[in-house]
Order: sequence, then C-alpha cells, then structure tokens
Amino acid sequence: MSRGAALLLVLAALAGCAGPPPDPAPATIVFKHAKILGPLDPIPGLLREFERRHPGVTVRSEPLTWTSDEQHQFFVINLDGGSPAFDVLLLDVIWVPEFAQAGWLLDLSPWVTREELAPHFPAAVAAATWGGRVWGLPWNMNVGVLYYRSDLLARRGLGPPRTWEELVEQVALIRAAERDPKLDGVLWQGKQYEGLVVNTLEHFWGEGTTLLGDDDRVLPDPGRATAALAFMRGLIDRGVSPGWVTAGDEELTRRPFGDGRAIFVRSWPYALDLFEAPGSPVRGKVGIAALPGHPGGAAGIGATGGFHLAVNRRTRHPDAAVALVRFLAGEHAQRALTAPGVALYPTREALYQDADAVRAHPGMPRFHDLALAAHPRPVTPYYLMMSTAVQPEFSAALVGVKRPERAIADAGRSLRHMLENLR
Amino acid sequence: MLWLSLQQRIPIFRIARFVGLGHYAFLAGDARFWNAVRVTLTFTLVSVALELALGLAVALALQRQGAGRRLALSLLLLAWALPSVVTAKLFEWLYHPSAGLVNVLLGGHAVNWLGDPRLALPALIAADVWRTMPFVALLCYARLLTIPPEVYEAARVDGAGRLAMLGSITLPLLRSVLLIALLFRTLDALRAFDLMYVLTGGGPANATETLTVYAYRSLFQTLQLGFGAALGVVIFALVMAVAWGYLAALRREGVAA
Repeated sequence: MSRGAALLLVLAALAGCAGPPPDPAPATIVFKHAKILGPLDPIPGLLREFERRHPGVTVRSEPLTWTSDEQHQFFVINLDGGSPAFDVLLLDVIWVPEFAQAGWLLDLSPWVTREELAPHFPAAVAAATWGGRVWGLPWNMNVGVLYYRSDLLARRGLGPPRTWEELVEQVALIRAAERDPKLDGVLWQGKQYEGLVVNTLEHFWGEGTTLLGDDDRVLPDPGRATAALAFMRGLIDRGVSPGWVTAGDEELTRRPFGDGRAIFVRSWPYALDLFEAPGSPVRGKVGIAALPGHPGGAAGIGATGGFHLAVNRRTRHPDAAVALVRFLAGEHAQRALTAPGVALYPTREALYQDADAVRAHPGMPRFHDLALAAHPRPVTPYYLMMSTAVQPEFSAALVGVKRPERAIADAGRSLRHMLENLR
Repeated sequence: MLWLSLQQRIPIFRIARFVGLGHYAFLAGDARFWNAVRVTLTFTLVSVALELALGLAVALALQRQGAGRRLALSLLLLAWALPSVVTAKLFEWLYHPSAGLVNVLLGGHAVNWLGDPRLALPALIAADVWRTMPFVALLCYARLLTIPPEVYEAARVDGAGRLAMLGSITLPLLRSVLLIALLFRTLDALRAFDLMYVLTGGGPANATETLTVYAYRSLFQTLQLGFGAALGVVIFALVMAVAWGYLAALRREGVAA
C-alpha cells in the first residue's frame, strides 16, 4: 500500500463509503481467507470436494494478503459497513471475541454442540467460545515452542533446559566449547509488534503472572511482570541473545537458526518443516522442547495461535455457510492439513497420533503435548487494543529506553485508562 | 471526518457519543502524540533536505555524463518505480544485522539498524532517500535539458568558471523546479507510512512512529474511529498548512497561476 493509498483508505472509511460490492449469485458461498504460505495449498481441493458433496452450492475462494494487520483491516472495514460480500471468514484467534462483541459474526451455537468441539485442543475451544456462545470452529493450531540444536547439546551431555537460567548456563557452556563467535545463544521475537506481546506473555506465565487477571484486573502482579521483562532485557545485556532481537520477527529469527547460527530459537511449529527440509544445514539436528520457566513460576507454557472459521452474520446463505465451516473443521478436511508439504497443524488432537500425519511431520506427537499445556492469549474483545497499548512499553524496556518497572507501570496506566473509557 | 473527530465512536463496543473537543484535549497532553509529531517532522526535514541535495547532484552529474546515461536513467527509474512495500522488504534484508549487505560492507559489524532507537529513524530516512531521490534527480535533469547550450557558451566566452556558471545560471534556472520537487516531497514525507509500518512497526519504543502510523493503529487496529479521525484531522491540517505555504512561495516565483 502506498502512503497515499493509506490516507485514502482512512478517508474512505471515515466517509462510510465502503459500499457493498455486487451481490453473489444464489447459493454461491464466498470464502475469504489468508493466503496459505508454503509449497502446498490444501484449500482449493477441499472446496471442490465440498461442492461435490453439496450439489447446487458453489464456493468461491478469495485469498487476502498474508499479513495479519491487513486482513484485520479488510474484515473490519467490510463487516462494519454491513457487507454481505463474503460468507465464511478465516479469523486469527485473537479477533474472535472482538468480532463477536461487535455483532459481526453468526452465533454458531444453534448448529454446533459442545460435543462437536470436544475433539479440538482445549486452548482452541477456549478461543472459539465467548460469552457462553460458539462463534467459530477451530481450523489450525499454533503453539510457541523452543527449538534447540540437539547435536550441540548432546555433545556436552545436556538435555533441553527446564528453566531460563539453565538455558543461559547451557549457552555459556556450549559457546565456550564451540569457540564460534558467530554462534548466537537464543533468538526470539522482540520487534514492536504482536509477536513481542506473545513472547512477553510467555515469560509472564513462566513467572506465574499474566497480563489480564481472572477478575479482569490488568497486570495483577506488577512485581513479577517487571521481573519477566527485566529478564528478557537481561538476555540481551548478558549477550545470550544478540541485540538485534529487538527488531526480530518470526522469519528474521527463524533463518539464522536454520543456517546453524544459533543454539536456541523460540518459534512456531511451521519452522520445523523448514528446519527439516532437504538441504537445510540443521536437518536432523533440531530438538523440540517446551519453553523454559522461571523459578517459582510454572514451566513450559507456550502461547497458542492459529485461525478459526466463522460466518458473516449478514450472509444470505447461513445453512450452506455453516455447512462449509463444519466441513472444513471436520476430521476429513483437517487431515488434509497434515499432508506432506503443508505447514499447517490441525486443531483435532487425534490427528497428532495418526501414522501418515506423523510420517509427514515427525514433530506432531511432541507438538501435541506442548499444545495441550499451552495457554491462549487473553480471550477478550479488548485484546487487540491491549496489545497495541503495551507494545511500545515492552519495546522501550527491551531497548533500554525505560527501566522495566517504569515500562510495566506505564503499560498498566495506559491499559487502565483505555479500559475505563470503554466501560 | 471533522464531525467524526468530535465523537467517541468505537463500533465494537457500540460506543457512539459526542465528546466535543475531548480527543483534541487528550492529544494536547498525549506524550505518544507529541513523539509522533517530532518523529514526523524530523523524518520530513532530514529526508527532504537529503533528497533535494542528492537529487540535484545526480542531475548535474547526468548532465555532464556522456556514455551510460541511458543506463543510469533506467536505474534511477527502477528505484523510483518499485512499490514502496517492495522497497521496504528489500531494506529489511539490507539492514539484517547478521546477513545484511549494509553490515557486510561495514566490515561485518553487527550494527542493530532497526532495533536500536537511535539508529532506526536514520536507517528509515536512508531508505526513503534511496527511494525518492531519483524523482528529484529526474525532475531537475528534465529542466537542465531545456537550458540552451548557447547560454553556457556565452558565459564561457565571458570567462565564467564552472562554479560561477552553476551559481548564476544553472541554480537560478532550476529554482522553480526545485520548489515543485520540494512541495511534492514534503507533502509525501509528512504522510510517511509504509517504510515504518513494514520495517519497524513504529518501534523500537515508538522511535519511528509517525502521525500516520499512530492514526492507522487507532483507526484500523483498535477501531477507535473518533480518536483516529481527530489524528487524521491534525495530519490534514498539517499537510494543508505546508501546502499553502509552498503555494504562496511558488506564486511569488510566478510558477503557479
């Protein structure tokens, strides 16, 4: 998008002229979804199969750009404008309560029973339900994990670290032995964006605290939150993580580890498929572990993510749209996600023990255990607002512009101010 | 938009009420807003000044150059024609701390271009200058082509040196073109968005958050339509004020009718 276009969009949205595009033909379902990255896109094949099973229904698939912000922007503008131009949406899990609260999604509760949700990971189900109603069906699962170089750890007789302090010691030990000044310790995502909030939340949980408490209090334990943020800053100060993690996103941190230039990286399951691809320098040398914990806190809690299928409340074909959502979330369609060459992980637990799936993606049994122990980010319609409010504060602490206690105090103040304005 | 900016309007929470100048009052005391103003003005002043100086220098070099002029012109056009998101992605890899070309050329130092609050804005300014300097260069070069060679001949006969010719012939003739370039570039730079959005997300610690990035976050990420509109009005007023100032200057030059 050019600068001019950005401003035009602002003006267009404000003028309320995001008018409805031409009506789709009867019984044509439009499916808006993120572009699927990776060598194989399972969606077209699945949609043709759905059409064969439902004569008279045509599904048109319209991919959006893969950046999450732009998808959010597209959905917000069109759903707020009451557009019926698409029927089925693929939503990032963190948007589900927000869109449900806004009244943009069809309540799926009349169609979907609790039993139908039971085969999916609990964290995925938690993110799909809000206010006692079902707003989406889980489609793919993401969980934060720690990858380690199993060859380097084995050479020193080490197992994967259970606490962050243990990880720091292992980095010192391995670096001293390898004598490679270019070998980094642990990489993670510290750029000022959603990924930073995910990484910080995982440290919060490791410290035994959180961003939004059960009683809806923000930052219920500022002391522990400060300790978590100070530890993250300390990783950089102590040279365990390179200074540039403050600009690192998923791909910028995945690549150096994939090139063999780091001992640990915090990432998502998709990375394993790339580490184990033919020709990868680290092929066969990568282990998967739970994220380490902090003393006194819980160990091994990763954040979950992924996409959910939902239906536009303005759809003209609710029954066909719900049928498509249930088909895509069903076992048959989710099995297609486990085919070789697809780097998407399903939300149905049983598939993680499936022989064909495990042959194509050997990490699946391990990912299953980690996803079971994982937590969703706060399931609240305020999540995106909270995240954008705290990103600059967490970033300021990481780059040393603010002391961690100051950043936590400022983050708390701006969150409370924001929430007071909304209630 | 002005009307919207006087309301608190957040569709998700079905909030729609009149708040008068409340948003503007909040902005007056909002440290994040003033930081965005500072970032926007710094980015605009420095990048436009560098673009004009370098663009002019390149145009003058092109004027003298014989062979390879076509190639140089195509390369300039290429940099200008790349979509800005592509440019941003290109610089993401150029600035990569361990594998980026910039650090390799600097002798392998792991300079943290985009993750250091002191370096991030200069790094973005450099990327912007690379991208838009050709616009200024081509504009100036086109004007240079229209200066008849006889003018320089006459000056040379009168014993004028190179510098004297530059100062009393070339630059005065380029004046109006430079003013137009200045106008276009300033208005563009005041609305700078995609470089920050792709490369730094406005970070680290909001060191590169411009007014448009702040407005985008308020409008599309957090859907505070009224508050975002107030920011939009401020940007609009800023752009209009600058445009009006330039147009007045251009009118004095006799360029604009």
